[in-house]
Amino acid sequence: MAEDTILADDLIRQLISVGEVDLLVGISSHSNANSANHAFHAIELSFQKNFTRQRAVIVNVRGGDTGGSEVAETSDAGAEEMSAPSARSLRTVHRVTADFSVLPSPGLALRTVMTAADLLRARACAMLSSGTSDLTPDRIANLLAPVFREKFDFVAPLYSRHKFQGLLARNLLYPMSRALFCCGIRELYSDEWAFSGRLAADCLSQDVWHEESIQTRPEAWMAISAISNEFRCCQVFLGQRLQSGTGPGPDIVEVFRHTVGNLFWCMESRQSTWLESKTLESVQTIGPEHELTSGKTDLDPHRIFEMFRNGVAELGPILSTILDPETHAEINNIVACEESAFRFRTDLWVRTLYDFAASYHHSVMNRDHLVQALVPLYRGMTYSFLMEHADSSATELEAVNESLCAEFERQKPYLMEKWKAKIEVKS
Amino acid sequence: MRQTILQGLEQAYGNLVHMIADFLPRFLVMLIIIVLGLLVAFLLKYILRLVLSVTKLDQVSEQAGASGILRAAHLPSMTALISRSVFWLTWIGFILLGLSVLGVASLQEQISRLFQFLPEVFVGILILFVGLMTANFLSRAALLAAVNAGHRSARILSWSIRFLIWILTISMTLEELGVARETVISAFSIIFGALMFGLAIAFGFGGQDLARKVLEKYLGNTPQKEKDKEPQPL
Repeated sequence: MAEDTILADDLIRQLISVGEVDLLVGISSHSNANSANHAFHAIELSFQKNFTRQRAVIVNVRGGDTGGSEVAETSDAGAEEMSAPSARSLRTVHRVTADFSVLPSPGLALRTVMTAADLLRARACAMLSSGTSDLTPDRIANLLAPVFREKFDFVAPLYSRHKFQGLLARNLLYPMSRALFCCGIRELYSDEWAFSGRLAADCLSQDVWHEESIQTRPEAWMAISAISNEFRCCQVFLGQRLQSGTGPGPDIVEVFRHTVGNLFWCMESRQSTWLESKTLESVQTIGPEHELTSGKTDLDPHRIFEMFRNGVAELGPILSTILDPETHAEINNIVACEESAFRFRTDLWVRTLYDFAASYHHSVMNRDHLVQALVPLYRGMTYSFLMEHADSSATELEAVNESLCAEFERQKPYLMEKWKAKIEVKS
Repeated sequence: MRQTILQGLEQAYGNLVHMIADFLPRFLVMLIIIVLGLLVAFLLKYILRLVLSVTKLDQVSEQAGASGILRAAHLPSMTALISRSVFWLTWIGFILLGLSVLGVASLQEQISRLFQFLPEVFVGILILFVGLMTANFLSRAALLAAVNAGHRSARILSWSIRFLIWILTISMTLEELGVARETVISAFSIIFGALMFGLAIAFGFGGQDLARKVLEKYLGNTPQKEKDKEPQPL
């Protein structure tokens, strides 16, 4: 059994004293992080306001030096920092802590939480990150409610964003995963999502937990597993995307390695699923489908274009190994265009991505390097998007996104052909 | 007189027959060993090729960048190279074993010297190959990192890394083979030292602004403006 190997004795002891639960919220936190305390109060408040009669537990997967920030094991009145709830929980909200010497990877944290959920027979679970200081009780309730009350198995978040933010999700991750896995989930990569105990048990039974892609970003794999195994999925609007309260924004190369690399890995590990033709599974949306805002930004399109142009020139030999000769020639042609006239056509963008995916499958070079080589081309697409849609409305952008999804679906046979082609090794 | 000549001829003939009688079985043994070696080498090559195809070595080699090096050197795929190398090594081993059966003293000495030198040659080839692979991998990693960080002279940086690792690899290989050991070490020290000194001077004179920017960026005196100029990807 998984719990025999992954859960420490102390954690099992804590879980046994909790007994069966209805709701479980997993949170990954650093021992010294103050934001974890804020998150605990938000979760407890959410239970008190929205799940008064349900048995609930918070599983804190904690890493690092444990000195100085111990939290209480149980709390039945909680919420010192927040306003008093209108209803009080009739049950004790338990807190259990899984201590690790260093902060565990997201994959290990999720596995620990899912194993605990399986042991406690939790019906609805949510996974949160403690790195954000804007976590609210309603946000947590919105994630848990579809699983607990409407029997969904996987709940992905939906966010409100500036129209020029989240372009990787909008121009690559969402349309590609939708075309391949028939997965209409817009936010495959997020720090907050919910799932049922049934789905947790199914995921735990899969032998993937040692994989690096699962260790770094397990949520997309979980969503794709849920869709592929015909679990009920939905997405729920949560408002603004929460950003980590500390440090600069994520490095674009790291984001690519963890998301695009992860998606390519999902394609590799689940090729039998997407190579079969399937129709798009509609995913129910709770709340608005999307909310794009516009306003002034401090983006520097000229700098983005220069990085694209320089990248394509410098990475010429690497790109020629990855891309189809025709695709590479077309990219070289558009690089030669004047900055003002430059456009990255949708069909070329899709073909480029499919060439990268096929080359990843055939391991034409180190896979990590291959994913990094996509960054300059993404910058080209970003520049083109910024120029083309400077004045576009949210509705127009949604139409553009739909046509991009259609292009990914139209070119799927091209990917399948390249994917199945034998690798040419000179001998 | 006639008797003596006849006796000499008889002795010479006897010696020849004795020599042939002595040499022929050894020659036959040598031929048998060589033919047997050929069969064993073929068998090993076939088994190895089968095992390497099952373990998808070519794919791993592509991923590690080793196949790129082989292609650049107009060499076959990794599976073919290893299986062919094993074939030739096995067969050459059997040929040398066969030759030693002939019992030619000078030949035996040469063979023994060759066998003594062989491990060093193998280690030398291994160092060269691993060095070239490392150079390829690290230079590509540096190129990608520099390009994605927006540095203009990414290819120069990449080539510098490749060149340094090549120098180190070649020096180590020559040292392993024992070719002009002291000269190689001195040449390496001079080239490496000169290169580093040159780079330091070039950076000191030409890259003051860059050095300031890098230090400011890493010591946190300026905010992360560059990152803010790109949209958040997620």
